[in-house]
Amino acid sequence: MPDTPPSSSIDPTLPLRAKAGDRQAFALLVDAMYPRSLRFALHMVGNREDAEEAVQDTFVRVYQNLGRFRDDARFEPWLFRILANRCRSLIVKRRRHSDLIQYGEVPDRAQLVTNGVEKDWTEEIYLILATLPAEQREAFLLRHVEDMAYEDIAAVTGVGLSALRMRVKRACDVLRARLTEVIRDE
Amino acid sequence: MNDETNHPMERDPLIERVRAALRAAPEGASHQRAVARVLSVAFASPRRSVFRRALDAWRTPAFTRLGAVAVAGAALVLGFVTRGAYVAGPDTEPMTSSGSPTGEFPVVRASDIPSDERLIPTQFILDDHKAASVSIVGEFNQWKVGATPLTRLANGVWTATVPLSAGRHVYAFVLDDTLMVADPRAPKAGDADYGREGSVVMVFAP
Repeated sequence: MPDTPPSSSIDPTLPLRAKAGDRQAFALLVDAMYPRSLRFALHMVGNREDAEEAVQDTFVRVYQNLGRFRDDARFEPWLFRILANRCRSLIVKRRRHSDLIQYGEVPDRAQLVTNGVEKDWTEEIYLILATLPAEQREAFLLRHVEDMAYEDIAAVTGVGLSALRMRVKRACDVLRARLTEVIRDE
Repeated sequence: MNDETNHPMERDPLIERVRAALRAAPEGASHQRAVARVLSVAFASPRRSVFRRALDAWRTPAFTRLGAVAVAGAALVLGFVTRGAYVAGPDTEPMTSSGSPTGEFPVVRASDIPSDERLIPTQFILDDHKAASVSIVGEFNQWKVGATPLTRLANGVWTATVPLSAGRHVYAFVLDDTLMVADPRAPKAGDADYGREGSVVMVFAP
């Protein structure tokens, strides 16, 4: 499975160097975090164009606001907080201004690389994920795809721990139930 | 971060399968272009001003706890510090050279290159006293071993300055025409074409 690099692969000095004005450090941050950011945005907004827009806006905002990044803070939750906000804004904007974007529409994730083993299920998984309420989808992705601790997800979303656990549990329940139906029908 | 906070009900074969499917990486073909585009937009955008940063600092609880005298003193100090940062801050540092660990090598400034030049001299350094020869390979020389040799300095450090286009470049060093190694000073590339670990350098246009 061509997983993107885990967050631990990022040099922890990069954000501080970028904050101090080192453009090379910022470039390396973008290079390291772009695949994960795009993956999250794709799953959140459901199409490549919007996802790339959200990621680009996110990194521009990060760059503009590096001065506000605390020296003792961790970069990843900060980045995902901005990214999650951008994705939420795009979802609301698309829902408000375009009747073409239907809730639960089949997402455009053709560019995602799969290893073939679960290929038959991948489309089903995307479909089910797209039917989840955005806040459940967001919590599930941060917990189970980005491997974030609940404390970090709370920092990203601004939602309490118990509410987050409930969102993840509900997302898991739906995914489990719907996939069980798929298996049963096969 | 599979910590103990993980709910036991979340770990089951079905959820693991979902997790594996969703962790598939977006296709990497356009990654390089996308990163270059993001950087060009970001660097063209203004960073928040010193004034705004000071205002943000003012709004933090720690800062507001200071008394009026301390605030005035801090503002005075902030004025000196930020003025210094503005005049001699990191943004004025050269961006295109990988720099010298010993300070013995001349720094190539991007601003010294004519504006119509598309290639930016970029310095590479390897500290390896055992190698008899070192060359660098990458997309810029079609990964040809020996095409771009490094010069050995008196202190045993190998160096070469390579004209590169702006953007992201993956490269590696070749020791004695046989052994490929990544640059120990540079970030590792996960997408090196030759099947071994490579390094990444980001080059910016002046």
